[in-house]
Amino acid sequence: MNVLLADDEPERARDLARLLATDPAINVVRVRAGQLLADAVAAQAPEVVIVDMARPDRDALEAVRQVSSFHPRPIVLFVDEDDPAFMEAAIGAGVSSYNVAGAALSDVKPILRAAVALFRQHQQTRLDLRQSERRLRERIAIERAKAMLIRERRMTEPEAHRLLQRRAMASGQRIAEVADALLRAGDGAKA
Amino acid sequence: MTPIRIGLLRLADSAPLVVAQEWGMFEQLGLEVQLSVEPSWANVADKLAYGLLDAAVLLPPLALALSFGLRGKPTPLLVPMGLSLGGNAVVLARDTAPGVTHPGGDALAAGQALVGWLRAQAEPPRLAVVHALSTHNLLLRHWLARAGGDPDRDLRTVVVPPEQVVEAMRSGRIAGFCAGAPWGDQAQRQGVGRVLLGTSSIWPAHPEKCLAVAASWASAHPQALHALLRGLLRAGVLCGDPQQAARVAALLASVLGLPEAATRQALPGGDGVERIRFGDAAWLARPEDATWFARAMQRWGWLGLQADLAATVGVTYRPGLLASALSDEGLQVASMEASRPF
Repeated sequence: MNVLLADDEPERARDLARLLATDPAINVVRVRAGQLLADAVAAQAPEVVIVDMARPDRDALEAVRQVSSFHPRPIVLFVDEDDPAFMEAAIGAGVSSYNVAGAALSDVKPILRAAVALFRQHQQTRLDLRQSERRLRERIAIERAKAMLIRERRMTEPEAHRLLQRRAMASGQRIAEVADALLRAGDGAKA
Repeated sequence: MTPIRIGLLRLADSAPLVVAQEWGMFEQLGLEVQLSVEPSWANVADKLAYGLLDAAVLLPPLALALSFGLRGKPTPLLVPMGLSLGGNAVVLARDTAPGVTHPGGDALAAGQALVGWLRAQAEPPRLAVVHALSTHNLLLRHWLARAGGDPDRDLRTVVVPPEQVVEAMRSGRIAGFCAGAPWGDQAQRQGVGRVLLGTSSIWPAHPEKCLAVAASWASAHPQALHALLRGLLRAGVLCGDPQQAARVAALLASVLGLPEAATRQALPGGDGVERIRFGDAAWLARPEDATWFARAMQRWGWLGLQADLAATVGVTYRPGLLASALSDEGLQVASMEASRPF
């Protein structure tokens, strides 16, 4: 079974290609950079196409079910009408899938499942990374705010920390937000 | 109140949504709206189908396809209003078919010349449209067929995203395209192609984009829908005013990243070959126009002949929902005879 993969994110595409290739029955081909998706489909005659939903060219595969001299094996959108939750999960993960008309659901769905799981993993990694970066930024802001208090108001470190905490509780904000506000108010301002 | 999630593409005729959001019309009406700029029509369609979007700027043939269930299970949609008329350009690559022109606005003659050129090529040339189920594709096919051509044989229709058509033409992958503004003017500005004619030459004042709303959302939120329509009416008035076009073009450039000068050309008062019309007659979602699109889809074999057009169009196209919003805004639509393609 030929699976054509259209995904511009190099690491994710590589991971998915590797994952699918563990199945000896599957041959994974990737769309080349700059290649028209429709051309790749014509050249590779895949049974299944996995497309990153962020790609604008997935509309090229929306050709209606028509058999003509140009579309001997029409590709159609994968839809499992009996499993809307799965379809929603796929969209949430950013994966869209197409298959040759008439392909068995049982042949196509496992491939899409694998793609959804992998896209989700990458999505989670990105989220985790963004969260880590945000936490790091917040730690830095808190440390800078404390340093400012120590310097400007001759506080000790525990006093500075307590000031931030008290202010956070009083205003219903998080300590990081209080720290940001203090830093924005600027050096020397008696905020 | 959870925000209303509305999908749109990076096109000049998304203007009413962007204006209503950025210039406070939705806010004035107490609406919280989240615009979702999508890279493809398929994304918009999928998200509407599975409840990740509540509404969208949509192509009428695609809205009908969703209602008819051409992309899986039927997605019940309502089209209470149109958003724009015309605005698409048929563009040929530079140095391509120099004998094919559009003198004196004779679309039939231009079509015949183009068919003649297409048939004279060694292989059917590639012309791009933005989506198979688009006004662009259906109007192009109607035009070529009227001119004696066979749209399935004389050319190879390929789908290229609107923002990629200029590059596809520059690199020689396509001989022509039919796409929405600002891409026709942009191709011409960059010396990559020339605008042969606008789709308004094929069907004067044809409906282009519509507002499509998930039926389930509409029935659960009738007041929000009413406010949404009012906001878009206000935005439509502004978008339709040539005096505002420069501001609108700047806004679209900033929010959607569109090329400003080319966008300006396609807005009211601009000097593009083809211009978008907003407001007034554009607001009418006419069931007879929807029927034209549905019949065209049947003609090309995309929609079964046994499909019940009247029933599906009747339940989808709901111009009556606009009536109270129009009167609340103190607006009227001058009655206009429905136009038809030539």
